[in-house]
Amino acid sequence: MKITRLTVNQFKQFRQPVTLDNLTDGINLFVGPNESGKSTLVNAIRAAFFERYKSTGVANLQPWGDSAAAPEVEIDFEWQNQTWKLQKRFLKRQRCDLLIDQQHFSGDQAEEKLADLLGYQFASKGASKAEHWGIPGLLWVEQGCIQNIHLPVDHAGHHLKSALSGTLGDITSTGGDELIARVENERAALLTKTGQPTGELKKIQQECEQLQTQLIELNDKVQRYRTSVDRLGQLLQQRDEIDSQQPWLPYRAKAKEAEAALAAAQALQNEQQRDQQALKNCHSNLEFCQQQLRDFEQRAQQLSQRDAEKTKAARALAECQQFTAQLKQRRELAEQEFQKAKDALKAAREQINRRNLQREHDRLSEQLNQLRQNHQATAELQAALLKLRAQLQTQAVDDKQLARLKALHKELHEIHIREQAIATRLQYDLQPGKSIQIDDQAINGTGEQLLLKSTSISIPGVGTLQIHPGGKDINDLLRTRERLQAEAASVLTQLKVTSLAEAENHVTQNQQVAAQIDQHQTRLQMLAPKGVDAVVSDFKLAEQQHQSLTEELAKLPDAPAGAIDERQVETALATAEAVLKTAENANYEHLRELALRERECESANNEWQKLQAELQSPEHQSRQRESLDRLSHLKAEENQLRNAIQNRQKQIDSANPAILQQDVKRFTNSAESLENEAANRTVEISTLQVQLETLGAQGLDEAQNTIEQEFKRLSQRRQQLQRRASALDLLLNLLRENRQILTRQLQTPLQKHLNHYLNLLFPGATLTVDENLRPEILTRQNNNADLNALSFGAREQMGLISRLAYADLLNEAGRPTLIILDDALVHCDGERLEQMKRVLFDAGERHQVILFSCHPERWRGLGGGGENARQWKMMAIVFAVLLLPCLQPR
Amino acid sequence: MEARFTVVQRIAALATAEAVDAVLVAGDLFDAQNLSDRTLHRTFQLMAAYKGPWIVIPGNHDAALADSVWTQARRLGAIPANVHILLEPKLAVFAEQKIAILPAPLTQRQTYHDLTEWFDGADTPADCLRIGLAHGSVSGQLPESADAPNPISPARAQTARLDYLALGDWHGLKQIDERTWYSGTPEQERFKDNGAGHVLLVEIEKPSAPPQVTPHLVGQHQWIKRDFTLAVESDLANLFAELLQLPDMSVVDLTLRGQITLLDHQRLLQTLTAVQARHRSLQYQLADLRLQPTEEDIAALHADGYVGDVVEALRQRQASGDDEQAETAREALAILADLLSQSAPEVKA
Ligand SMILES: [Mn+2]
Repeated sequence: MKITRLTVNQFKQFRQPVTLDNLTDGINLFVGPNESGKSTLVNAIRAAFFERYKSTGVANLQPWGDSAAAPEVEIDFEWQNQTWKLQKRFLKRQRCDLLIDQQHFSGDQAEEKLADLLGYQFASKGASKAEHWGIPGLLWVEQGCIQNIHLPVDHAGHHLKSALSGTLGDITSTGGDELIARVENERAALLTKTGQPTGELKKIQQECEQLQTQLIELNDKVQRYRTSVDRLGQLLQQRDEIDSQQPWLPYRAKAKEAEAALAAAQALQNEQQRDQQALKNCHSNLEFCQQQLRDFEQRAQQLSQRDAEKTKAARALAECQQFTAQLKQRRELAEQEFQKAKDALKAAREQINRRNLQREHDRLSEQLNQLRQNHQATAELQAALLKLRAQLQTQAVDDKQLARLKALHKELHEIHIREQAIATRLQYDLQPGKSIQIDDQAINGTGEQLLLKSTSISIPGVGTLQIHPGGKDINDLLRTRERLQAEAASVLTQLKVTSLAEAENHVTQNQQVAAQIDQHQTRLQMLAPKGVDAVVSDFKLAEQQHQSLTEELAKLPDAPAGAIDERQVETALATAEAVLKTAENANYEHLRELALRERECESANNEWQKLQAELQSPEHQSRQRESLDRLSHLKAEENQLRNAIQNRQKQIDSANPAILQQDVKRFTNSAESLENEAANRTVEISTLQVQLETLGAQGLDEAQNTIEQEFKRLSQRRQQLQRRASALDLLLNLLRENRQILTRQLQTPLQKHLNHYLNLLFPGATLTVDENLRPEILTRQNNNADLNALSFGAREQMGLISRLAYADLLNEAGRPTLIILDDALVHCDGERLEQMKRVLFDAGERHQVILFSCHPERWRGLGGGGENARQWKMMAIVFAVLLLPCLQPR
Repeated sequence: MEARFTVVQRIAALATAEAVDAVLVAGDLFDAQNLSDRTLHRTFQLMAAYKGPWIVIPGNHDAALADSVWTQARRLGAIPANVHILLEPKLAVFAEQKIAILPAPLTQRQTYHDLTEWFDGADTPADCLRIGLAHGSVSGQLPESADAPNPISPARAQTARLDYLALGDWHGLKQIDERTWYSGTPEQERFKDNGAGHVLLVEIEKPSAPPQVTPHLVGQHQWIKRDFTLAVESDLANLFAELLQLPDMSVVDLTLRGQITLLDHQRLLQTLTAVQARHRSLQYQLADLRLQPTEEDIAALHADGYVGDVVEALRQRQASGDDEQAETAREALAILADLLSQSAPEVKA
């Protein structure tokens, strides 16, 4: 759609005709200062389409103060190769003419045609308002309103959807949204948003409940009434059948009879009781009397018993006395035997004693002998020891001197050997019987002599020969020998011996003596371990003992012949003692028993005598007679009472007072209960009658019937309403679901166009649309923002972009589009404005865009320069207004 | 309730017009014991329009209990002099009319022995008609009466040598033998075609003469129960024709089955509303009537776009096995059609 020419006359500030022509495809920019009439031109376009020519509510279109003016607008536009020419005059000489090519329409018909084409409605009354503006309301933006997008979209919604249904096939619905609203309304009349009953449904439910309660109460009342009626019927019947007969009277009579019979029976019972008491007394007296008699009897028996006891005691005593002598004799015999045994034992003991003493004496004699020998041996040994010790003393050899002596002898021997060696040997062999003298010594036979010193050999016969042995050594040797010999001689002297051999002999002898001494001492030790003195004293002591024992023994009489067995004697004594003891005991026991018997005999005698005296007394005799008399008297009385009681009991039993008592009670109770029943019935009947009269007057059955019918009617109605409510609920849900499906189908193409423009402004950003096709969330680089939360400038930009997207959508659907912007995007910063110019330029490729502005500099670069804008003078205002149809794109 | 007053009025008028000797009511003059004073007064006032004797016995609904509608009426002083309530089984002779009445009033709600037994041995004046008046079930004669209470011997008229035995309790008109009849209730109150709504005009020339019995319709309302199935298009026209032919002031219970288009459904509702006005009561059950939207329906109702989808969804739901769901869907469809037909002209304009 393209507007080519616009003329206004007597319209607001334009009192004279003003024409805007040569409008082109794409962007048409008109710039001028404030108050220059830009908005008036926009108003004129809107009025031409939106206001009914016949409307009386458009006086504001007249120039100020000119009530005679007839505001007039003429618009020429092209659509689908047809030329449309619209002429509209308001208030005065109102008319509307529409020429489509050559076809003429006028009045309402013309207006409907325009509304159909552009998609808007007329106000049914008065001036057109925003909700009527439909699609133009969305695309023709008034000054300062471009950021508001939601409301215009809502108003255009229906037209948008129906316009778009061409592209989308059959899915949109002509009256769908309105239908939903109406279903919502209808549902709201019965159900709340949460599905709770409301309005009439709630009311009728409550009414039903109330009626039901009433009905229950009423039913209850009716039931009570019926029960009471039945009860009353029953009572009346009982009164007629029972109470009228006075059935209690016979029972009263019977009760009286029974009472009289009972009184008679009770009198008998009293008498009986008296007699029974008398009988009881009689019995106890009888008992007492019999007891007395029994006592007398018992005494008599006791006497005979005591007599028997007395006899028995005397007999026992006599029996006992028989044994006295015998037992005494036995005891004396036992005593003698015992004495004998005792003497025997004494003799035996003496003999044993003597024998023991003799044995001791013998032992002591022997011991004494031994001790004597010991004593002698000891003395001998001691003497020998003294002698030996003296010997040892005299022959004592000093060991050192002995050793010196031996050494001297050895040296002498060595010297001797050397002498032999160096000595002059003188061998001789002398004729038998001849002798020589060597140094005064006669020699014979054959022999050898060593000569160490000058020796004179006198040979008888021959003379003397002097022989001098040679060498000086012999002399040393001789001198040494002499010194040694001298020393040896000294030693020998000291040793009091003559030779070494003797000394050595002495040593040997000493050794033998020492050994002997040891031997003697050992023996002595054995013989007198406690010393010799002890031996002596032992010996002496034994001697004294022996002496005294010998003397004692001498005093004892001589032992009788034969051996005595001590044990045998002891046993005999013990036996004799036991026999004696037994005899003594028997005797003692017997004496005790005897005393006892005597006492018993005496006491039995006494007892018997006492009782005998008592029983024989005259008082006792008379008492016994009295008791017997009383007994017979009491027995007679008892008999009499028994008979009386027995006879009377028969009378009482036949009267049976217990049953009579029960009869009285039974008949009286029966009569009373019948009377009470009758009285109660009478009371209950009158109570029930009053009660039923009251209930009956209430017309319960009728009321119940009425309420039942009403309840039935209301229940049906309630059911209908409930069904309607469910149906509306279902319907609403189905409509909403299906509408949503549709909306989703519409959203997709709109989204496509939105994103197309958005990419020119914010590359990569998206803007979602809600189910009412309203832009909703702007997403830039993962940052989501609700449209309302954006800055004013951004909202302006989104408002324009959205409108352009709707225009594209409509364009695709083959619907006319015209975009009018009055001073849009005043809050855009420079950079954004440049982007928005690209957006606008792009939209201008597909739509005619008429743009009014008072800021020409802001719109430079919108595809051309302001210098090409045509100046245009407006008549109605003082200053010039520049109208700058911008350069056409291409 | 009003209908019952009217029928009393009619009976009184008929009795006056026919100049009968007496009107016999064989029990259940009232259907309950505990009625409002107004109802009692009104009934007896209407009866008073006939000046001759009304001879009435209590039935099971108004049995002569210890306290009953009769004691109440008596307390109110509502019973006119010409209305004779026979509360006891005792001979009542109406000398002027030469009628001897043997009544068998119910004094309990239910009895299990024949209350008319005493008729057999009762003596009546020879010049009087010997008429029995009883309320109950004639043994072995009535359906559903196998062990019904208040039994009456079927041979009673014969064994008691009655000229006529007037019976009540059975709601329909029924003859038992030559001399024994149930008149049925004069105003129908059930959907049963058993001849209810009549009174009997009984003419007997003299004692022992056979009675002439003529039923007279006095009931105001007919009780009509109809069951229709709509299958083909012409069925609807037939239904409408039949509805128009129903006697006015009837009590109608209509059940419709089958299927119907949305537009026809609208027409049906309109027609039913119109017919309803002519009758005492018209009830209809449409639960078994399926709404079958057609192309024309959808076009005419502008049920285009997703609304059309909803119509289809509802139509399918209607066919679902769940009765409740089907019923709701049917109702929803009807509401939808109604709403659309209301808005259709606007959208068209
Ligand atoms: Mn009955």
